[in-house]
Parts: sequence; C-alpha cells; structure tokens
Amino acid sequence: MKKLAMLLMMSAIASPALSEDGEGPYSANSQAKSWSLFGEEKARFEARVTDALCELTGDCPDDCGGGERPMVVMRKDDNKMLIVNKGGAPNFTGANYRLSEYCGQDVEVDGLLVGDPDLTPGIGAKVYQVQLIRATGSDEWVKTNLYTKQWAKKYPEAKGKGPWFKRDPNVKAEIAKTGYFGIGLEADKKWLEENAE
Amino acid sequence: MFKSLLLAGAAIAAALPAAAASGDRVQITGEVIDSWCYYSGVMGGPDAVTGTAHHTCALWCAAGGIPVGILTEEGKIYMVLKWKDHDKVGDGKTILSVQSHQLVADGLHYERDGIDYILVEDIVADNGIPLRNHEDYGFVPPFAEPKQ
Repeated sequence: MKKLAMLLMMSAIASPALSEDGEGPYSANSQAKSWSLFGEEKARFEARVTDALCELTGDCPDDCGGGERPMVVMRKDDNKMLIVNKGGAPNFTGANYRLSEYCGQDVEVDGLLVGDPDLTPGIGAKVYQVQLIRATGSDEWVKTNLYTKQWAKKYPEAKGKGPWFKRDPNVKAEIAKTGYFGIGLEADKKWLEENAE
Repeated sequence: MFKSLLLAGAAIAAALPAAAASGDRVQITGEVIDSWCYYSGVMGGPDAVTGTAHHTCALWCAAGGIPVGILTEEGKIYMVLKWKDHDKVGDGKTILSVQSHQLVADGLHYERDGIDYILVEDIVADNGIPLRNHEDYGFVPPFAEPKQ
C-alpha cells in the first residue's frame, strides 16, 4: 500500500505534462532552482511587496502583518498581483517573514511560477514561490529562508533535535487531539497495526 | 504648478493599494487544504494531497505560514485571508484545528488576477474530515508516518 502511494507520487512527479522547458516570459536571467513542479516557470521580475489583505481591502498595517499575513508581490510590468505561496526552503515554510521585511518596498524577486489547470483542475492562475529577493538598487540577493529562525524565537521551549515541523507545539497539540490522520487516535492505531512491516 | 500637483497625485496613487473593493458575500462548502501542495504537485496529484492521507502535512504547511485554501465541491480554490476576527491567518495556529475539514463558511469573496480569496466571517458547519483517503495513500508524504 505504501509502495502504491509512493508510485503514485513518483508517477505524478514524472508525468509528461511536467516535461515543459520551464521557461516563461519572465524567465530571462533567472537563477531560480527547478523543483519539477506542476506548470513550473522560472520568473524574475521587479515588484512591490505588500500583503494580500491590504491590497484587496485597504487594511494595511505598516509591517504587512509582521510575517503572519499571506503576502503578495505586485509585478511592476503589468500590476498583476501574485500570491506568494512558498519560500525557497524545502521544509514546509512560507516566505511571509522575509517578505514582510520589504513591506511596501520596490524589489526584484526570483523564483518559480507554479500551477497547471490541466493537472489540478480549478486553479485560475499560477502562484509564486519566491526563492530570492533584493531591494531595488541592491546588489545582494537574500534567500527566503527566514521562517525557522523566527519560529525558534517564538517557541524557545520547542528546541531540540529533528525538523521544526515535528517539534512545533501547535502541530503536536492537534495531533495529540485528533491523530495523524485527523480523525481520532484509534484510526491511526488501526492503520499502523494493519500496515506494520 | 498644475503639472507638479498632477505628478504628486500620481506618485501617491502608485504607492497606495488599488482602490479597495467591498467584496461579494458568499457561502461556500469545501475542504480546508494546504494550497502549496495542491498547486505544485510536490507531493503528487490532487487526490493525494487532500483528506486524511495528507492531514499531517497540511498541519505542517499551515504551521509554516503557507497560505491555506478552501477547495470547494465545484473545484474552485479560495485563499483564506481572514478567519473570523483574525487577520493574521499565517500565524501558524489560527487555522490549524480545521485542516482537512469540510466546512460551510460565510464570508467576503474577492477575485484578483485569476485567484479567488475569502475573508471568512463565520463557520456555518464543520463536517470534520469526510475524505478518508489514507486507506488508499497511507501517509503523504510517507515520512509523516509516526515512528513506532
């Protein structure tokens, strides 16, 4: 069963629809790393940083929510609003903290536009994974990997071995209540017993 | 003088967010999802990144500040920007308890550049997690399985 799940995952990742060249209108000079994602296009462009709630409703704190609101970049070329779904670190983290440091500023960003309606019906536009950012005029690119540092400051009691997401107190509390499948501890137990190797 | 005023006005307008719209009131029914895994395919196709199979990963991503979405029965995704009185929905805890749940939610809908957004005002119903796909997929990703 586990093998079936893995095979399904691998076949999805290796699907022909992903064998595009990964190039798009903003791919020139991009240094973004490929993640082999659905509809992936490298994209480097100039933008203004803000948070989504601000841009849509006018509710605009000076710090864009201090890393705790979903962030967007407003592309300079066409004023298109792109929601930033992910940072550059492969550890289940977004880029909100890093982007909030640039709240209201003009920047250059580099990353991946992601999403393909043929593979995931219902999506209306690509979302953005920002890997690098720099203020306009700056020579130095900055990685979008600030989350774990902020998390460690927020939860000093969670210090320990292993990745942050397995030590996060809020995640652990949820799993303690409803289990890893979210439907009760008995369901976890039953599945684990039935699938013991 | 007039030109200067015009230029100053244009500069101010460019620095401000687009004129705030009021949003359309909606009631939607859908599953609270991790929008990154759903959009990107990083963990596999859409069937594998919803429901019980992907629940732990959805917790991780929501805790990590990745935008949370609501995937409706019609296949539309609404990115959640507000949760009742909480505007900091990326704080890693506000939306954790309903990950993978099927909800009926009231709120304000905005659309911008092909993406739908919702400011959730009220949860009318919480149906728990009806999609029990762990029987087919196990844990997605496999390392979400707890060590024995």
